Amino acid sequence: MAVSDTLPVSLKTVVENGVLNRLPLTFLPFANQQLRDWQFLFPNERRATEQLLLYVNSLSPDESSALFAEVTALEEKMNVGSWKFSTSEQTIENASLLARSPWFQEWRRAVQAVFDATERHATTTEGVPTPANRLVLIEIPRPLDLAAVSVWQRWGQLGRPLNLEIPPNLSGGVLQNLVVGDPRLSNGLLGKVTQRARNQYAEAWVIDAGHALVDSALALPPAGPGAAQPVLLSYSRLDPCRQNFSREMNTMRKDLSDADAVYDRLRKVNLVSWCPPEVAADPAAREFVRNLYLSGNGAVIFSNSFVQWAASEAFRRARPRFLAARFGVRSKPKPFTAVAVFENPDQVNPLPAVDDLPGSAIDAQILAPYIWLAAMRYEEYAHATVCVCVAESLSQACVVAPPEFAVAHGQSTLSIDALGHELDEWIS
Amino acid sequence: MPPDPRPDPLQECAAAVDPASIVDGSRRIFLRAAGLLCAEMMLPWARACEPLSTGAGSGHKVVLVIIGGVRRAETFSREGLENIPHLAHDLLPQALFYDHARNEGVTAHFNAISSILTGNWQRVDDWGRLAPTTPTLFEQFRKGLRVDRSDTWIVASNKALTSLIGASSASGYGQEFGANVVFPKQLMLMAVADALHGGRTANMADRDKIEAELESAMEGNNYEGLGWNVFDAADRLDPRVRDSIRDAVARFVHSGGPTSGDELTFFMVREIMRCFTPQLLVVVFSDVEAAHFGSYAMHLSGIRTADRLTFQIWNEIQANPDYKDKTTMVTLPEFGRDPDGSSTNGFFNHRANDDSTRDTWMMVLGSAVDRPNVIEKPIRHVDLCPTLAGLLGCRRLESQGTLLGDFRM
Repeated sequence: MAVSDTLPVSLKTVVENGVLNRLPLTFLPFANQQLRDWQFLFPNERRATEQLLLYVNSLSPDESSALFAEVTALEEKMNVGSWKFSTSEQTIENASLLARSPWFQEWRRAVQAVFDATERHATTTEGVPTPANRLVLIEIPRPLDLAAVSVWQRWGQLGRPLNLEIPPNLSGGVLQNLVVGDPRLSNGLLGKVTQRARNQYAEAWVIDAGHALVDSALALPPAGPGAAQPVLLSYSRLDPCRQNFSREMNTMRKDLSDADAVYDRLRKVNLVSWCPPEVAADPAAREFVRNLYLSGNGAVIFSNSFVQWAASEAFRRARPRFLAARFGVRSKPKPFTAVAVFENPDQVNPLPAVDDLPGSAIDAQILAPYIWLAAMRYEEYAHATVCVCVAESLSQACVVAPPEFAVAHGQSTLSIDALGHELDEWIS
Repeated sequence: MPPDPRPDPLQECAAAVDPASIVDGSRRIFLRAAGLLCAEMMLPWARACEPLSTGAGSGHKVVLVIIGGVRRAETFSREGLENIPHLAHDLLPQALFYDHARNEGVTAHFNAISSILTGNWQRVDDWGRLAPTTPTLFEQFRKGLRVDRSDTWIVASNKALTSLIGASSASGYGQEFGANVVFPKQLMLMAVADALHGGRTANMADRDKIEAELESAMEGNNYEGLGWNVFDAADRLDPRVRDSIRDAVARFVHSGGPTSGDELTFFMVREIMRCFTPQLLVVVFSDVEAAHFGSYAMHLSGIRTADRLTFQIWNEIQANPDYKDKTTMVTLPEFGRDPDGSSTNGFFNHRANDDSTRDTWMMVLGSAVDRPNVIEKPIRHVDLCPTLAGLLGCRRLESQGTLLGDFRM
């Protein structure tokens, strides 16, 4: 089995001691892949993998058998041994085999139970981590027109609408002003988060359907000594990467009949030269982008899907303390050729692209709360997280926050500066 | 909404879904259809007295319209009705409507559709590389009643299907008794790809040239690429099939209307109905699957398209003397879609073990409807095949499904 050279000694030792032999067959693709791709994992993922394997290693053989007893029993019922099941990495074939098994749901619950036990053990031995305040900022920018009566409908009872006083001469939009402020002064929220000495890698993310927000973030001075740069993902700045990746995908689809062969080849395509510098220089972010494209959900097709799915995956994989996401505008499907969604529409059809403003607004209106719901799946965001979604065309925001955040129950109208100040206080 | 405190690395595995998905109960309120039905409840029951025509089998024709994954929230719910004006207002008042039609099998396209078509929950390969393991309705009908292949068709937009959807691998059945299978959207995809690779993309902006590209794709001999099975051993189209497809393509291209995959499927279905008058016709619409790419607006547009085209098929049945008064049309989604907030990304996908994904509806129109009614008792997708087999006069085969007693046999 291939493991990364960068594995911590403790983990390397337990792997050499054969901890993987104690894992059930259906855990192996995950474990092997994590160990092999260690250098591309975010700190949170490393922690989770380490917790699991060190915990299993700390158990006696009987105890580890007991931990996995239910999973192993289900694997026998599913007859996994007779499957063409990859143990080296997670494959489409693996997923398909598991999902169509009548025991799939039970297997899923049994897997969760193992992670629950691991988590409980970590809490016992390492103590409960101190909850840190977190911030999620989302913007549905102009020119996406939204209806005041329905804009926050999908947020239900989650949040509180707020009127924003937006200066008429504000350039760059509300989110850009909050996140970046004046780049020379580093007085935006992102600058303050990343300048802190205790800021760690992948704690701050900016995800942009266009490029203006990321461009302005790139203009910030470098993070302080010992502090990490934010992860900056711009759909537009990734255009060459996306288009090349998409072209590879199409070429392979025609050559390879097997979905896993396509998947495998795309895992190996070198993205470095296709990525903008801020992604090319960051191996974990680069692989994050690759996985984003490979895992579907429209990230390679539509900018707003990219924003939502990237944010959701960032929460799942990296648990950032600060995440800013800005939606944008997609084009209307072109006549006749819209079915070929894997092709580049501008390449396939010479008709000029036309912005679909109403469609983009409908998309963003559901994808914005999806970002928040994705965060809410994790304990880290359950109690000390503020989420602000800005509807720029309405000069409104929806604020989801715990009671200790003053804006959650204060004035119903706020200036951008005042909001920025409150958010700054919260995240500091 | 309880947070999920667990690290969940196995989620990278595409199928590793979180069963404890979040459900928005407020959007689950299904309309009490009685209000919509009341006017039509007073219709005379004349149709019940009309004899069904006879022919091979019972003489009854069946048109089964399967729509891709749509949630109740976007269809038969208070908020969803605006997306389905024809189903809800034009058709529901004359329908036998099953409020809860459950997919209790694998909620992936090939398995869902083959479960509906066989009356048994299928657990075969998701990519259509394996045929269903028990006989399809087509095979039951054709073998049992010696019906010609041209009397059974499946016309589908869904790219996840292959020609193996038309017949099973069951012993004594198989392709010999299978249906004609046509995937119109594949024709469009192939035409786009051919134009791209041949450096003729300028053609895709000109309707006449698009028609030529589509015809060229059809006349080419990439039989494998299209996935159809209406070619003979020499990869040549039956001339009658070719003519009807050519007509469908011409009408589609020059209609001036929308140009989605489902639109072409509809034009082809209509030509097949007019040319071959099949006794058993299965139509699969899948524009709604734009949801996989995260465009909710395009997903809603797909629902509206399916709603309109389903209504147009019903109108064709009414206008075509070969179908009028001797046809039962059944419409149902393959499954729902995942609930907002689920670990499987909500409406994008259909993998969650949740009512939002499993609990759909089914609408029956035409000869098998004694009187309009709403059935609240849940049925299962596998119940449909034995029921339709009964309507067609087939001998009962072993099935996990049970006969739906509300159908008039």
